Amino acid sequence: MRMRPTKLILIIPVALLVVFFYVPLISILQTGLWDNGPTLKFISSVLVNSYHRRVIEFTVAQALASTVLTLAIGLPGAYIFAKYDFPGKRTIRAVLTVPFVMPSVMVALGFILLFGRGGIITDLIGHDLGILYSWKGILLAHAFYNFPIVVRMVSALWQRINPHYEEAAMTLGARGWRLFWRVTLPMLSPAIFASAMLTFVFCFLSFSIPLIIGGYRYATIEVDIFTSIMTLLDFRTGAALAVIQIVLSMVFMYLYLKSLDAYAKREEQRVMQRPRRMTLSELASLKGSLIITYALFIFIFIVSPLLAVLYDSLHFNGVWSLENYRRIFSAEYDPMFGASTLDAIRNSLTFGFATVFLSLLTALPIAYSMHRWNFRGKRVFDVLATLPLASSAITLGLGYIRVFSGTALYYTPWLLIAAYTIISYPFVLRTVSASLKKIRPNLWEAALSLGAKEWKAFLRVELPLALGGLIVGSIFAFAMSIAELGATYMLAKPEYTTMTLAVYKFLGARQFGSASALAVLLMLISTAGFLLIERTGEEVW
Amino acid sequence: MVSVELRGIQKRWEDFALTIERLRARDGELLTLLGPSGCGKTTTLRIIAGLEKPNSGEVLFDGTPVNDLPPYERNIGIVFQDYALFPHMTVFKNVAFGLEMRKLPRMEIERRVKRALELVNLEGLENRYPEQLSGGQQQRIALARALVVEPQVLLLDEPLSNLDAKIRERLRSEIKRIQRELKITTIYVTHDQEEAMALSDRIAVMNFGRIEQVGKPLELYHHPKTEFVARFLGSSNILELKAENGVVRLGSLRFNVGISGRVKMFFRPESVRVKEGNDAHVVDYEILPGRVRFKLKIDGKVITSEGLLSDIPFDIEEPPKRVGVEISTFAIL
Repeated sequence: MRMRPTKLILIIPVALLVVFFYVPLISILQTGLWDNGPTLKFISSVLVNSYHRRVIEFTVAQALASTVLTLAIGLPGAYIFAKYDFPGKRTIRAVLTVPFVMPSVMVALGFILLFGRGGIITDLIGHDLGILYSWKGILLAHAFYNFPIVVRMVSALWQRINPHYEEAAMTLGARGWRLFWRVTLPMLSPAIFASAMLTFVFCFLSFSIPLIIGGYRYATIEVDIFTSIMTLLDFRTGAALAVIQIVLSMVFMYLYLKSLDAYAKREEQRVMQRPRRMTLSELASLKGSLIITYALFIFIFIVSPLLAVLYDSLHFNGVWSLENYRRIFSAEYDPMFGASTLDAIRNSLTFGFATVFLSLLTALPIAYSMHRWNFRGKRVFDVLATLPLASSAITLGLGYIRVFSGTALYYTPWLLIAAYTIISYPFVLRTVSASLKKIRPNLWEAALSLGAKEWKAFLRVELPLALGGLIVGSIFAFAMSIAELGATYMLAKPEYTTMTLAVYKFLGARQFGSASALAVLLMLISTAGFLLIERTGEEVW
Repeated sequence: MVSVELRGIQKRWEDFALTIERLRARDGELLTLLGPSGCGKTTTLRIIAGLEKPNSGEVLFDGTPVNDLPPYERNIGIVFQDYALFPHMTVFKNVAFGLEMRKLPRMEIERRVKRALELVNLEGLENRYPEQLSGGQQQRIALARALVVEPQVLLLDEPLSNLDAKIRERLRSEIKRIQRELKITTIYVTHDQEEAMALSDRIAVMNFGRIEQVGKPLELYHHPKTEFVARFLGSSNILELKAENGVVRLGSLRFNVGISGRVKMFFRPESVRVKEGNDAHVVDYEILPGRVRFKLKIDGKVITSEGLLSDIPFDIEEPPKRVGVEISTFAIL
């Protein structure tokens, strides 16, 4: 219902979006598509160049292959989580949240320590599996990040399928594989499709992982934009690549949002099938041992890169030692980043909290207005507010360089925080909106009827009920800002080096011990976020 | 307390329109909006509450238009079908909410919450959360929350429909008691005709977005103006007959109707008394707990009679082939 909307609350979000997203976006479009008039020559020169074309093809191909691998690892997990209770399930479920908060630089480092020359697994089996600096490593790291999404989304829907459908099909003679193929799978498809699309979009826009474990040969568009600008100082090519990336990612994002609608509709079904507790004899059967093997596998899959980093950080010249930690806190590295480790920690934390604050300041009024008001152009506004999802940190970095270099904002931390906010606020918006949607509308009406004004009803009744979503969204914003590498690299003055950037610089200098020690500190911060999410009891996706 | 009046209300959707020329709930009265689902009764309630804006028309409290007042300035109390208790607040906090919005002092809030909980017989549950209460308890908390602010109008939207039959009857009489005690003008929405009959001072029967008839329960029951009202309130006999010189003949029975031509005559099965005689042919009969139902044929028309077993003047195990019939109350639709 419409009642005296005070649209003023949208001023800050709209201003932030215009200044820090739309203006930079327009400047990229101008750089990529304008030369004394509209032109496609920069785009076409990128498209005829065999290197860039291969990068674009590879980006799509690796995203597809990563999605397939992610589904292959995630779907069995979805089945097991939906259908069975087994010892250790709670732990595994909690561990699935870990990739959600772990910076990709740290995971890439873990992969290097596991699979690189002299890596733990390489040593263990005696030869190099060729995973590092190849597409295999990229796929594996992408699967690491995304298979928990598949497990959560698909198992959530699986539990909601009314068992009567399957029972009816069984009485009609369908069983086993045919039952799954003809009855269960079609009902699961919205969840499979939505989680696959989300995985695809994340992999398509992936930066740190291909940058660190793909190397030059396996660059994605995101990496290509980065090198075009930072190494070759070729803004035209960078902008042309960015335009291509934005167009493609908008298409993918649209498909994702569509599939998410279908998924959300199905998820509303009230039926909940409780997973069945496995008996001891079941656990000992073939099925049981497969389930236990799978659970162990995903546990090791998630934990091993982190353990590798921890292990490496505690070793110096092959013996257990705290030397790495001593080193990163001594002054000898400061000239390399232009900041001490303590500075980096302080920067990461301050920027992180500032990002959370700004993301909430942007997301809450938008979530409220979308939830509560009907106004002309609401759909357009929704699209405009969601569009940052289809952009990327590197694109933003490029736009900021074009728009803000020479202004007083340039080289201030504010630009970094703005970039972090633009890339992370859509996630806050989505989690908060999703939580708000779950609240029955008559609670709000009851509050109004009892004399609460609109904003009071929101603050006292709806916001407390959406708190879980708000916290999860905030932690995600924090985690994203802490983990961000590309835009930070492009925009940060040395004294604003963050922990993630410092880890990356250590990696570039082949100082793995120091990188690990700093990454462990980063991991501690992420773990705090992980524990907080666990406490809210909220589903992450 | 106040009277509530709707004048010329129109609310249109793509596939539905609600039209209320005039409807008035008198001061202190319990007026029920009764009708099948989708008839517009809940929408009417929401318009009175200010939760829905009509396309045109006026809502008046005591003759003063309140159209432009948001719900929080109308001083109303609502009980929703699913109670809408705030899940994150205790019983005390829920009931105190409206008082806190009115910025009453702490002591006063505590005193009034206590009194409201006494009114619904639920003292001692202050620190529970809604999910820890039974459906009936939640319903009463919702009622206490609506009443504690001393609203001028109480709006109840199917407040008993989620409860099982036994609790429903008990709460029904409790709602009636409280309403009489507080003499609060109350609009009650339900689709259950028994509930409406038992509770209401007056009933407005609604169908397809319109009010069919307003009146006291017995008036509607025995003298419906439309076939819909007749059928909605219980089982009916509706016969199409011819009236000549203001008189309708049905077999040997004669009725003064005051008009001529084709008429639709209506009467309830319990208005048909069976006695010894020769007016109708017994087609069939059913014995129910304490009652008996006959299917009778008069003049080629089949009618139903229902009466107390003890009133039947013959041995029910072997009823006669023909019986006498007396129709006490009837209406022309």
